[in-house]
Formats: sequence, C-alpha cells, structure tokens
Amino acid sequence: MPAPLVDENSLIFCFSTNYFVVRMDGLWRKHIDLFLLISHVIPLIFFAFLFIFPLSLLLSSSFLYYGKPSLYWFSSIFSDTYFVNFNPRTGYLFDVYGDTMYIWGLDYGIILNTLIVALTTMILSTVMGLISAFILARYDFPGKNLFRVLLYTPMLATPFVNAYVLGKLFHPTSGLINYIFYDLLHILPYRIDLNGLVGISIAQSLSYFPIVYLNFQASLLNIDPSLEEQAENLGAKGFSLFRRVTFPLALPGLTAGMIITFIFSMEDLSAPIGFIGYSGNPLAKKVMSYYIFQSFSEAMRGVITPETSALSVILLSISIIGFILIKRYVSLKTYASLSRGGRWNPRVRRISGFKLLIVYVFLVVLVLVGSMPQVGTVILASTDWVLGGVTPKSFSLEYFYRLLHPSVSRAISNSVIYSSIAVLIAVLIGASSAYCVARFKGFLASILDILSTIPIAIPGIVLAVGYFMFFTSFFRWTLLDPLIDPAPLLILAYSFRRLPFAARSIFAGLQQVHVSLEEAAMNLGANRFQTLFRIVLPLILMNIFGGAILTFVYCMSESSTSVTLGALRWDRGPITFYINQVVYGSIVVGAASVGAALCVLLMTIQILAIIISNYVLKQRFAIYGF
Amino acid sequence: MVRVKLENVCKKFGNVVAADNVCLDIFEGEFFTILGPSGCGKTTTLRIIAGLERVDSGKVLFDDVDVTNIPPYLRNTGMVFQNYALWPHMTVFDNVAFGLKIRKVSRDEIRRRVKEVLELVKLSGLENRYPHQLSGGQQQRVALARALVIEPKVLLLDEPLSNLDAKLRVEMRSELKSLQRKLKITTIYVTHDQDEALTLSDRVAIMNNGRILQVSTPIDIYNKPRDLFVASFIGKCTILTGVVQNRSDGYLEVKCDDMTLWGVPAYEDLNITVGSRVACILRPENFKLEVSASDNVFDGYVKHVSFYGSRNEVKVAVRSSELIISFDSSVNIDVNKPIKIAIPRDKVIILPYHAT
Ligand SMILES: Nc1ncnc2c1ncn2[C@@H]1O[C@H](COP(=O)(O)OP(=O)(O)OP(=O)(O)O)[C@@H](O)[C@H]1O
Ligand SMILES: [Mg+2]
Repeated sequence: MPAPLVDENSLIFCFSTNYFVVRMDGLWRKHIDLFLLISHVIPLIFFAFLFIFPLSLLLSSSFLYYGKPSLYWFSSIFSDTYFVNFNPRTGYLFDVYGDTMYIWGLDYGIILNTLIVALTTMILSTVMGLISAFILARYDFPGKNLFRVLLYTPMLATPFVNAYVLGKLFHPTSGLINYIFYDLLHILPYRIDLNGLVGISIAQSLSYFPIVYLNFQASLLNIDPSLEEQAENLGAKGFSLFRRVTFPLALPGLTAGMIITFIFSMEDLSAPIGFIGYSGNPLAKKVMSYYIFQSFSEAMRGVITPETSALSVILLSISIIGFILIKRYVSLKTYASLSRGGRWNPRVRRISGFKLLIVYVFLVVLVLVGSMPQVGTVILASTDWVLGGVTPKSFSLEYFYRLLHPSVSRAISNSVIYSSIAVLIAVLIGASSAYCVARFKGFLASILDILSTIPIAIPGIVLAVGYFMFFTSFFRWTLLDPLIDPAPLLILAYSFRRLPFAARSIFAGLQQVHVSLEEAAMNLGANRFQTLFRIVLPLILMNIFGGAILTFVYCMSESSTSVTLGALRWDRGPITFYINQVVYGSIVVGAASVGAALCVLLMTIQILAIIISNYVLKQRFAIYGF
Repeated sequence: MVRVKLENVCKKFGNVVAADNVCLDIFEGEFFTILGPSGCGKTTTLRIIAGLERVDSGKVLFDDVDVTNIPPYLRNTGMVFQNYALWPHMTVFDNVAFGLKIRKVSRDEIRRRVKEVLELVKLSGLENRYPHQLSGGQQQRVALARALVIEPKVLLLDEPLSNLDAKLRVEMRSELKSLQRKLKITTIYVTHDQDEALTLSDRVAIMNNGRILQVSTPIDIYNKPRDLFVASFIGKCTILTGVVQNRSDGYLEVKCDDMTLWGVPAYEDLNITVGSRVACILRPENFKLEVSASDNVFDGYVKHVSFYGSRNEVKVAVRSSELIISFDSSVNIDVNKPIKIAIPRDKVIILPYHAT
C-alpha cells in the first residue's frame, strides 16, 4: 500500500517534511513552507548585503558633515566649477590650429560633461541602432544574414583597448584615418584630432548602439503582423504606417535600449581610461566615472572621501531614475514574453535598385565603423602596430606568447576562477528569485523582481565604492575584507552585477513550464524539493545553461569593480585589471598589445559562447536584450 | 477509499468569491460530480480538496480527519488536470511510475503496477512513448493511469474530457464510468457539461457563483430542481412566473399574466403559500397533444419547428408567452397552424421566484 498519510499524527509528520502550520489565536493562520522561506530569504539576504547595506552606507556618508546630517558635500560639489560649469573656458570643439582640427569637446565640469557625453552617446547609438534594426527587421535583400552576423562584432568585449585603438586611429599625425583621408586622398581639409569627451562619446556609441539595435529589433519582431495588416486595411501606408502603428508598438523596447545606453555611458570607465592611456588627454579625465575611479585609487589604503561618496550618490541617483523609467516599460515578467521573439511571420519586403544601394552603403559603413575597435584590437595584438607606425609593418605572435607569462596567466586564471564561482552564485540566487517571481507572486516576490533586475542599472564604480566602505568597516579582518584579499568580494560583486542575465534566462524557462506540471507532481506525493529536482530543473536545464554561459562571459569582461577592488592586491587582479594596467600605465613599450591579446581572448570566449547558446542550447543569446 | 467533507469552505481571489460557504459530503466510493457554468468555482473547489489551494476559512475532512492544513503531497489524492499536465520530459512509463518512485516502492513492484494500470486504461505497449507522441485520448488515459496507480483515497477529475472530440468524449465517458465501478474509488468529477454529469454520476452538485445550489441524484436534479438556476441550467424548459392563487390537494393554482395553470411545488419545505411569487417550470418533453381532464390545456399556434433527428422542437405561442415543446419527429406538426397542447399538473414544477 502506498504511503498513507493523513492521520492524527499528520502534523508531526508535516514537521519532518518541511511544512508546518502556525496558528495564532485564529487571527493569523498561515502556513510556512520551508521551501517558500528559503527561496525568498536567501536572495533577500544576498541583495541586502550586496546592494542595500553598502549603498545605504554610501548614501548616509554623503549626507554627513563631521558627523552631522548636512547637504554640505552636495552644495560644495554643485558650486564648484570643477564639477558644474556653465561657461566653459577650456576644450576644443572644431577649433583649427595649423593644419589640425581639434575635436575634444568643451569642459562644462565633470557632472555636466558626463550628462552631455551620455546624451550624445544615447542619440548616436539610437540613430545607428534604430535604422539598422528597422532595415534588418523589415527588408529582405541578399547578404542580410551576413550583416546580421557582422553587427554582432561591435558587441564583442574590448575593454580599455577599444578607446586606445580609436585614439591611435585618429591621431593627428600618425593616425590611419588621417593618413588615408588627409595625406592620401586629400578629402579632409584638416587633420582631425578626435579625442577627449567627443572621443569618449564616439567610442561608447560604437560599442553601445547594438544594445538599441537588439532591443528595438526584438520589439519589432514581437509585433503581431495582423496589427499592421489591420492598419493597412484601414488605409495607413508606408511611413505613416510606421509612425502611427509600428513605432509606438516598438517604443518600449527602444526606450529601454536608449536608457540602458545612457546609464552605461555614464558608468563607463573603459573609454576614458583608453583615451587617457593613449594620449593622456586632459578632457578625457573630466567625467564622473573616471573621477570616482581616481579618488578610489588614491584612497585605496585610506578612506573614501565624503565628496567621492556624494559624487557616487549623484551618479547612482541618475541611474536609478533611468531604471525606474525602464521598469515602467519592461520587467522581468514581461521580458519572458518578449524573448519569444519571431513567433510571428515578420512582415518583410524585398527591396532593389536605388533603395538597396542606400541600404548596402549604410550597412557597410556601419559595420566598418562599428567594428573598428575590434578589428584594431586584433591588429594591435598580432602585429607591431603598437610601436607607432601608421600601419603595422610585420605580423607577430609575440604578444600572444606573453599571455603565458606568469603575471598574465595568473590574471587569466583569476578571472576564470572568479567568474566560475560567480556564475554558480548568480545561477543559484537568480533561480530562487526567478522562481519566486514566476510562482509565488507575493509582495516579497515583486521586490525580488526589482532587485534581480536592478544590478544592470547600478554603476559598477559606485558599487565598488560602496563595497569598499561597507566591507572594510563592517567586515574588517574577515574573509570579505577587500584589504586582506579582494577575491571573495570580487566574486560576490561579479555575481551581483551579472545576476540579471541568469535570472532572466531562468525566468523565461519557468514561463514555459506550466504550473500544473508542478502541481501534478505535488499531488502525486512529491514535496516541493522533489518537485523542483525531478520536474522543474530537468525542464529548464537549457535555460539554466544558457543563463550560466551568458553570466560567465559578462563576468569575464567585467571591468568597474575589477579595476578598483581588483587593484587592492596585485596577485588577485583579473584580466580586465591587467588590461587596464597595461593600457593606462603603459609601463613597458608595446604593453598595450598584451592588453589587446587579452581582449582577443575575451572575444574568442564570447564568440564561443554565442555559438554554443545558439546552436547547441538553441537559446537566444540575449546580450543586453531588455 | 474515503469520505470527503467540506464544511463552510470559503475562498476569495481578490474580489472574486470562488467558493462561498461550500458544504459538501461525498460518500465512500461515490461518483460525485460538481456541475456549473464556467468560472463558478468548480476547479477551485477541487483544488481545495487536493490541497493545491488554501482555504480562507472552513474545513476539509477526509474520513473525519481535518486535512485543511495538510499540504497536497501528503493528502494522497489523485488528480487529473484539465490540461493533463503530463511531464514532457518523461515517457509514459516514467510519468505513471512517478508517484510510486516518490513513495519508494521497489522497482519490480513499480514495473508490475504500472503494467497493470496501463492495461486497465488500455494503453499497454505505449510505455516508451513521450506525451507529445500520443493522441489526446491517449494522453488523457495516461493522466488517469498516473493518478490511479498510487491508489489514491480520492480521484479528482477536472473536466478530463473537455479537450477531446465529441465522439471520443462519449466513448471515454463510458470507459471512465466502468473503471470507477470496478475500482469503487471515491471520485469527484468537475464538468460544465450537463450530459456528462447526468449520465456518469451517483450524485450531482450544482454550483453557481461559488455557491452550491443543490446536491441530488441526476434524476432529482432534472425533475425536482430546488432552485430556478438549477432548473434553467439543466435541460431545456419554459419558465412562467406568477403568483399563487389557490391551493388544493397539494396542487397550486398559479396565475401567470394572462393564463392560469396548476402545478406541484418541487419541495414542501420551500414554503410556498397563497400569494407567493413563483416560477413554473415546464419541460418540453412533458407536453402532449391528447388532453385529459386534470391537465393544463393551452390553445396556441405553432411559430417554429426545428428538426433534431429523433425529435422536433416546437415553439408554440400561447397568448403573450412562448412555450418550448418537444415531440417525437414522427408526429406531424405544421407551422403557423393553431394547436392545442396539454401538460399534466404533476409535471409542472413550482419554485419560489426571487426577482434578480
Ligand atoms: N489564482 C487565481 N487568481 C485569481 N482569481 C482566480 C484564481 N483562480 C480562480 N480565480 C477566479 O475564481 C473564479 C472561479 O474559478 P474556477 O477556476 O474555480 O472556475 P471553474 O468553475 O473551474 O471554471 P471553468 O469551467 O471555466 O474551468 C473565477 O472567477 C476565476 O477567475
Ligand atoms: Mg475549471
């Protein structure tokens, strides 16, 4: 006879199987389910220690002036022309001296500079992303799939080296671009010196436009064609159809992509450091992320100044506002339905003749310009280009061999170890949160929904400052004290920052598993844990792997916390810290090429991950597909 | 086998009352059906019995043991879900064996019992198929086998036939019934299909808006509804409302607008007296063409005849009312001709009428 259950002793029995009943005078009668408890509480503890507490400490320290609550730091920042300056005196914008036109940008103080750069980056990325997404989603032409693949190139990670390469290409006398268009072809009237704030914005736009492209494309593919057909039926055509029907329907995706681009631009360290590393340009230093980075480096053995905290809080607030705006459009919940892209037969039109020509010219230029950093990185890594010539003179594997040097290979193994452990944590926490959001739908679950998507909007540099303050004050001399060993904290930082990737993949998987499949198991006697392991996990295994791969890739290329916390002990630095050192410090001649070789390694990992996700796991490789 | 009792069970989802003070007493070995329109709370009631939904108040008892706070996996019920909920990553064998594996039954025993139950539901030989390789009817039987193999105390079936085509549905209906007879297992069956409810069940509960309106045998549900909703939900009928004028020999005389008819109150405890507002329920098949002394007689004319194979449905206008009448199709009825019809006093069911 199968397990018989209900009898007088059943309550005692229930205790032993993770289920019990709490009764309080008949007023409050709730069951507490250990599974429910664990799946909510563990992620909540994780977020409390890695998000809420550190950032609260940061926040409170910025509002304290010698122990008293005060707005002193904020008012001093806003009244200092170093931070906010409406009458720029320095900088060059299309200024010509001799045969060179300097395009650096004007110095409005680092807060306004940051906002202007972010806005410019957002606009440039949107223009590039919008047009390319629209073309690829709505038109059919020979070579379309090739362009689709090539548009992945700008997304490949080349931290710090990307801007270094751009600096090199646009160098007024030894840059390849000036050589071709000024010296050889005489198209340009002046040599162009693209650097500083403008350089940063260009470098960022080239790496971030695919975010807009992917998000907008995903929303376009999700528009039910019958909606458009209906509109056509009612007489809307061509551009008016696009403007009145298609565009508004795809707007949420576009907005999300734009805001993400804005946030990423603000927190980006890679472009400023790359330009500074190449030419020491003073304007490239005048952004918030770099300022915080620098004061962090100076404070490494001491304390973070309240001014730095206040600046971090300003950066954080702008990002959080952006995140709230995104949340209004897209949450973890709706993401999953969005990700089932291409369900409909997308309405594609064949084009030819003049239109086709324009499309080709646009896409070729976009791919060429967009992949400049990646192509340049590969050239830098495999030739003697770093030594100063306009073009490389000879091919060389030297820099790849240098990856075997103990100090470099240690950085590589550090990154691999940190990322692997971080993936495990992110998957665990992400899975719990996703499960709560997908199944329990309570108040706590809705908080978890927010917490598991918010890391994408938290500037890494701000997080690093918060972690440093929190863990050196409250966890001094423990395993988590970064001054003793930053590795454990770096792992946790990685897992927090990349958690959304794991959570979203798993959430998308859970959405495909009907709740009744779990209920059927429980009905047949399986408790929640048995149900999880025998029914749920096998069914979402592919999503878990997909999420894990994605998380791993983005942990490997994480830079903000790597170059700050990672700098606290040289032997603990990950790959991106090493790249940052060689690009920024340029200790040895030609060292930037070793950084480039490391970037080639990162890109290879990324490409492998995309191939595995798409062809083996058959998952969509969601980059920053919000 | 177990006797299932629900005592004053209430369940709300936000503002929606899915179970409103539900009381049910389901006997051992009984085939019990909960019948009601879509959204009335049938599934919720079933899920409360299975423990998949927690009650706001009230009790669920299995053989007088309070199981209200017992989680689903300890209740030992076997449920067949409306969408079958077969696990797509498991074969038929593994699906059916799941409950036994959880109960740590030995491998040989599992093999033997799965084989037995698959024979019972006529699925032998399909052990190694995956759910997506099965037809709808086969899937439904796998779900049934999966629930039966654990020898549950109660079998809970949530519209198990609603995903099948009409012919298969009728076939599976009789298979289900004979299976239940053989196993003598307490069965609670949820459906919104009245034919299913009437043909299968020992007793039927009619539910609407979260409330149980009547629990009776199928025959009583049809012939002696306690409630106007029950009367109109089950089978076809004409409802005439009026006021009781007179009472004699247990019969009531009701004046409905411009006509008067005699009938019997459905139940004595309904407290119908002279002056009560009532509704008279007239079933189409109770009308006849031959008139005898005590019958209610109507003079009308035929408005419409629709052909339903063995029977014709006839709409007859009588003064300002319209009666629905059903005759054997061998009887010849002409449209737009006058007609005289009668219905015996015993067949006119009288219920209290509450204007809504
Ligand atoms: N999880 C839930 N959350 C909110 N409302 C619910 C939930 N489950 C059921 N309801 C509501 O409770 C009412 C009863 O639902 P239930 O599923 O029990 O109906 P049903 O009688 O089984 O209907 P059907 O015949 O359509 O299956 C409905 O109004 C439904 O919308
Ligand atoms: Mg239902």
